[in-house]
Amino acid sequence: MTAIAESNGLWENMYQGRAAFVRYWGYIGLMLGATGLALWGGDGYTEDAYIFQLVGQDGLVWLGTGALLGAGLAIIASMARPEVVNGRIPKMMVSWFDGGALMIVLMGILTIFEPTSAMVSYENQSNLIGGNIVMTMNVVFLFSAICYIAYLFAPASFIGGMATAAAWAGIYSGGAALLLRWYESYLFMDGDIGHAPVSNLYEVFILLFCITAIIYLQWEKRYEAKAMGAFVMLLIATGIFFSIWLESVGQAEIKPLVPALQSYWMKIHVPLNFVGYGSFAVACGAGMAYLVRMWLESRNSKMVAVFPSLDALDQLAYKSVAVGFPAFTLATILGAAWAAEAWGGYWSWDPKETWALIVWLTYGAYLHVRISHGWHGKTLAWWTVIGFVVTVFCFLGVNMYLAGLHSYGRLS
Amino acid sequence: MMRAMSNTTDYLKPILLRLGSMSLAISLLTVLALASVIGTVLLQNQDQADYLQQFGPIWYWVFRSLGLFDMYHTWWFLSLLGFLMLSLSVCLWRNVPRFMKEMRSSKITISDSAMKHMKHSRHWKLKDQSVESVLLAVKGNLKEWRIREEQRGDVSYIRADKGQYHKWGYICVHSAMLVILIGGWMSVQFGFRGNMSVPEGAKESEITFLKGTSTEYMKMPFEVRCNEFSIDFYPNGMPKEFKSNLTIIDNGKEVLTSDIIVNEPLYYKGVRIYQASFGDGGSDIRLKLLKLDGSGDVDFAETKIYTTFKDEATGITLEMSDFRPYNVENMAQIGEPKDFQDLGPSVDFIMRGAGLKAVKIRSFMNAFELNGENRGNFMQVSFSGNTQDFESMALGLDMSNPKEWELLQRFIVRLAGADLSNKKKANMQAFKAALNDVFGDQRPDNFQAMAMRVLQAVQVIPRLPWPYIPVLDDYDQKYYTGLQLAKDPGMNVVWIGSALLVIGLCIMLYMSHRKLWLVVRRQGGVVSISFVGLSNRNPLNFKHEFNEILSKVDDDVQALNKGDTV
Repeated sequence: MTAIAESNGLWENMYQGRAAFVRYWGYIGLMLGATGLALWGGDGYTEDAYIFQLVGQDGLVWLGTGALLGAGLAIIASMARPEVVNGRIPKMMVSWFDGGALMIVLMGILTIFEPTSAMVSYENQSNLIGGNIVMTMNVVFLFSAICYIAYLFAPASFIGGMATAAAWAGIYSGGAALLLRWYESYLFMDGDIGHAPVSNLYEVFILLFCITAIIYLQWEKRYEAKAMGAFVMLLIATGIFFSIWLESVGQAEIKPLVPALQSYWMKIHVPLNFVGYGSFAVACGAGMAYLVRMWLESRNSKMVAVFPSLDALDQLAYKSVAVGFPAFTLATILGAAWAAEAWGGYWSWDPKETWALIVWLTYGAYLHVRISHGWHGKTLAWWTVIGFVVTVFCFLGVNMYLAGLHSYGRLS
Repeated sequence: MMRAMSNTTDYLKPILLRLGSMSLAISLLTVLALASVIGTVLLQNQDQADYLQQFGPIWYWVFRSLGLFDMYHTWWFLSLLGFLMLSLSVCLWRNVPRFMKEMRSSKITISDSAMKHMKHSRHWKLKDQSVESVLLAVKGNLKEWRIREEQRGDVSYIRADKGQYHKWGYICVHSAMLVILIGGWMSVQFGFRGNMSVPEGAKESEITFLKGTSTEYMKMPFEVRCNEFSIDFYPNGMPKEFKSNLTIIDNGKEVLTSDIIVNEPLYYKGVRIYQASFGDGGSDIRLKLLKLDGSGDVDFAETKIYTTFKDEATGITLEMSDFRPYNVENMAQIGEPKDFQDLGPSVDFIMRGAGLKAVKIRSFMNAFELNGENRGNFMQVSFSGNTQDFESMALGLDMSNPKEWELLQRFIVRLAGADLSNKKKANMQAFKAALNDVFGDQRPDNFQAMAMRVLQAVQVIPRLPWPYIPVLDDYDQKYYTGLQLAKDPGMNVVWIGSALLVIGLCIMLYMSHRKLWLVVRRQGGVVSISFVGLSNRNPLNFKHEFNEILSKVDDDVQALNKGDTV
């Protein structure tokens, strides 16, 4: 597909045929093992105990057995009927699983450098290294943004390559930093306040950067849309400055969860929402690229040659919305399910809920005019940009300016 | 008669068409979105007095008549939603039959002019020969496609479809929204949602809720008794868990006892009971009243939270408003690592009396300790009555030790009789005399620390304008648990609609209807083959997919042809 993949035969082979097929089923087995451990391992499921089981001997036994069984069965199947290895799904999924595994391994390596429990306390978290990894992510993403912008002016392949590599490095450091933060939350107060790192603005910002970059890189890989990267990364860079500010005012500390957030729904509702937000950010990037390309065309600029065609940008914006909209819809529905369990009703016209509805209507209308009425081009490019402004208000503005039931996301 | 009827349909039709039109739908959605914005900017369901103060009488009246203070339940907002439902229904009614028909019977043949307009196409011309093997090979390459064939004279058509059911996506999404709105209407119409506060040990069976601007009551078919309410704290003072132990009493019988916490409600007879809030449920409070009339007497006031204690002798009233068993504060200076300390129990009350400025006081029971040193009791005082305006006031004395109060009294008496020409010396002598008065020969070990406190207290206490200092002495805490009770018969309908919505969206956005035609025409000695393709969305991917299939078809044709193209 891409030049990089063709030049490297071994790499290519890892994601083809039997290698991909066996690994895919190995991962599936691993996940089934993890599910089995949750259901039947130990006495009854509690989240904190489960996490410790996962990294302990039980985890090794259950997950290892699962993975070996999955991979073993896959090898047998592939010998009995060699054509099974040509399925589409294993090829598609295995790189995602690999990425996730790599993040977990990175996190595991980083934990070696963490101070012992005795050296950190809730009151003084400055010894933890998670913040340094986040700062690495910040720097790498900013560097990536600069490279992407430089690429517009000097489309040399090495600048573009650096930009992409830096973006990937940012994703892995961000992902590993989040996982590390999860680990760190168990290091003090006797592990009493351990929780998934999606509980405050600082944490979800990291998540947002990573998801946005991942979605954008998929488009870059498949549709050679590198010029769009400058716009997406510019949005990420803006977010990074905001997140550095958050850290400077003490919002980066690990804090206990308020009772309303102590629910498994948090781990589902929040990340899914950010798949939506991230996609809308990418759509906005594509829309901005579209508008800039139009402007460049009107001035007969030579830079136009770097950009994907207007048609392709239009399509990419739509694709991003098409990824984000169902995710956002599902996230909102699951949010309603959580609200039904925690607040006494699935819908309370809380400001966050109402703004989520407004975001939903904005993108719903976008899809409506596009699919049913065949609109495209400039208007819709503007629509994605304005839609993202509405999204940002839903994400940040509501927390900063409006009170409501979501007030734990508030800046204090 | 006939004519009249057709007339009505003539009138109705354009109206219905307009109701189902997209421009109406989009304008409805826009108005709905804008109205929703108002509701988030203007805080809903607040106290009417606050609104009046915020907007002034004219705007208050305007906003109130528009129902903006409870906007999401006004007739006009609900009619907007109603219109949306109507528009959705009309849209479905108009389009579903058409979609179904299209899905069922699509033409296999394709006209030459339609073929010309296809973006993806390829044409071959071969010398006359049997093309059966090509047709077979092509069909073999399109295993995952729905294939239909038709022969018309000299022309044979093969049509292949993938994702032909994508129109179900539209149907699902639109009916899902309708279902969700119906579910919402059922929730409002047949459900309820209200609050009840139950003090520990008490029973309650009535909920209150806001309807417009007035509070309404509703009897539940059972009683709820709160056996116990408890809060679990993290070491930094943040609450970790709010828990109520409840017993449901139905017809005088205890049917169910269970704990509830936030995120884990109780379900009984279709009603969900949620942990929503908590507060003081009328704790018993004993205050020590340290008299400042010079007598040094100490009185006690036995009272309860939410009641007013009236002291007959002075005419002073204490309106008890709140009690807290813990007050965890960060005692570190800015820049230092945090240091959380529990300052112990406190009680809030408003003190009023003739000739006194009314003040809100938070009185702490324990003496304040700093770096292990006893700095005496303190209280927080607010002249505005707002808790934000609390200012700390150190009393100096450790009130838990009655001897210290006595010492202060004696010190004041001794000071009054002292020669004030040398202040330091006078202080010293007066304090020694006071010590003797209180303790005689048996001075306590820590009398020096006590001296420091008394010297500080003498700067503060005699200057207080009050006839006595009320200090929290003892308490018997009682919480109330704030429950929310809700019945929602529409909820499951909403979930069904939601599932339908997500499924519909996925079909609509990810399934594209792709069509391929292979047309073989025999004319004279020449066979012309055309292969064309069309997709309703995702042109980038379809281009890829088409080219992949095309290269296979091309191979098949070339194999047959072996190079003798016309």
